[in-house]
Amino acid sequence: MTLAVQGLATHFFTHAGGVKAVDGVDFSVEPGQIMGLVGESGSGKSITGFSILGLIDPPGRIVAGSIRFKGTEISNASEADFQRLRGNRIAMIFQDPMMTLNPVLRIDTQMIEAIQAHETVPRRTAWEQSRAALGLVGIPAPEERLSAYPHQLSGGMRQRVAIAIAFLNKPDLIIADEPTTALDVTIQAQIIHEAQKLTRETRTAMIWITHDLAVVAGLADRISVMYAGRIVEQGATDDIIDRPLHPYTVGLLGSVPSANRRGARLAQIEGMAPNMLALPPGCAFAPRCQHADATCAQVPEMAAVSGRTVRCFHPVSRP
Amino acid sequence: MKPILEIDAVSKRFTRTLDVAGRVAQRLGAKVREETVHAVDSVSLTIAPGEVVGLVGESGCGKSTLGRVVAGIHSASAGRILLDGQDIAALTGAERRAATLAVQMIFQDPFASLNPRLRVEDIIGEAPRVHGLVTADALSDYVDETMRRVGLDPALKRRYAHQFSGGQRQRIGIARALAVKPRFLVCDEAIAALDVSIQAQVINLFMDLREELGLTYLFISHDLSVVEHIADSVAIMYLGRIVETAPTEALFEAPRHPYTRALLAEAPRLDQRRRQFEPIRGEIPSPLDPPPGCHFHPRCPKTQDICRTALPALDPIVPGRHAACHFWAET
Repeated sequence: MTLAVQGLATHFFTHAGGVKAVDGVDFSVEPGQIMGLVGESGSGKSITGFSILGLIDPPGRIVAGSIRFKGTEISNASEADFQRLRGNRIAMIFQDPMMTLNPVLRIDTQMIEAIQAHETVPRRTAWEQSRAALGLVGIPAPEERLSAYPHQLSGGMRQRVAIAIAFLNKPDLIIADEPTTALDVTIQAQIIHEAQKLTRETRTAMIWITHDLAVVAGLADRISVMYAGRIVEQGATDDIIDRPLHPYTVGLLGSVPSANRRGARLAQIEGMAPNMLALPPGCAFAPRCQHADATCAQVPEMAAVSGRTVRCFHPVSRP
Repeated sequence: MKPILEIDAVSKRFTRTLDVAGRVAQRLGAKVREETVHAVDSVSLTIAPGEVVGLVGESGCGKSTLGRVVAGIHSASAGRILLDGQDIAALTGAERRAATLAVQMIFQDPFASLNPRLRVEDIIGEAPRVHGLVTADALSDYVDETMRRVGLDPALKRRYAHQFSGGQRQRIGIARALAVKPRFLVCDEAIAALDVSIQAQVINLFMDLREELGLTYLFISHDLSVVEHIADSVAIMYLGRIVETAPTEALFEAPRHPYTRALLAEAPRLDQRRRQFEPIRGEIPSPLDPPPGCHFHPRCPKTQDICRTALPALDPIVPGRHAACHFWAET
């Protein structure tokens, strides 16, 4: 087991009140596995990723739960411990590659720095490793790219460099936060292809955070769907996409145009995502849910139903 | 049926002229020159009344620029935009104003396209008041009616844009466009910035408005599944040129241009699992320095010698279908 998260709760204590951005999240990832973490804006998917890497700043705090990375508890690790882990054993890929890249340093400087921060190797060896890493993510003429500055590269190339840096030290886990959202369709297909190939070859576990179910349908082994800080449904990709049980997952999948007859009105989820400062008591999805009744005033527990876990009192029954 | 809007060989070039320092440097022999981007390169498109035309392409292909030329935000460098058969640029006075109001635009970013200092009632009500479409004492009711039409509660009209969610803001933008009673809407990635569950609501709104008001749309998007759902016909753009046009069903069933085929194959789909195929290589080249011949040839799997030199014409292949490829017939 590469990563096991249990009961993770990350809250933000703001002047306007407490925000339970992540409130009791459980999941685990095994070597070579890709888990899709799906949710809309404000669902807590990115904060879950940041919590694993120890990147939560005040007013935010991990208030409960355990994060075990290869058997070691890291939710309370010191900053020095995290510096040994980050970029080495656990790496992150951001939506905007300029979050990873320093605009005033050449690509080779940044890549060599990332290697030498964790390992004593000669500069020449580190340079060779960097060149090999750029080649692996499909960058043509890697020698030339190494001496370029980030602004000289296209958005797709920058994201490849960021992915190459993430894979540099052969990490056990990569957290990718919407890494293809800002990219074009053909470039997205290339990046997904490379990421899939690399995780298979290196047995790196990956958490792919996205709002796009269609992307993880073609990429992930398992999917966790988040809503308002909690995972509402979790299971194998085929189960979640083909046979969703939680009304929110059912609604999300039903509102995708390809699930509807051409030109017909789309099945839509009514209402909008709840205000995280004033969550409804009980199930957060209840105000938008057609199946909601009095029992939904309680928070449902995650329960195992036909091969996956669902947080719902009234899972959608299938014919 | 007579077309409502015709785009006739429209080009849009953006030129960066040299400043004084640049001109001096050029005199002294430095390699600086004026740079011209052919954002839109001789594009023609005919749109029938009540039709929804999807305009699809990747970033930098010129689809937004074309949309802005159609909406009158940019003027065309060459070519004409005809509304009801009349060149908009040649009209004057009241006719010109009527033509300008008839075509309205809805923007991608509902956070950047609304004035943060205005109340919603002013955002929606300003244009119809200025253009004299409603009288001052009827304005309040008119704003209420427009807000209800797009699914907003008129009780909120004294609020500012920042007090609304992204989906509601997009509805305000739509209400603003509808307030001047347009016949033609240019929607530029109008749902791309919205959450998945909100996207469906706004798409439904567009379809309802089309029914109720008889609107015609130029629907610009990078999202093929959305275009497949609501468009009657589709035009695919690549680096400033249209490479294929077809009725929606025909295009998705049998794409003719290699670029269209790549787009369709590579768009993520819910019914696809653990994809194994090799995606198309390379990236869209810089429009500052487009490749000669067919713009797509450096990435195309079927490139021949002729593709490197000769620009393929947008040929009619069957009635209603056009493709700009030397080898469309071979596939």
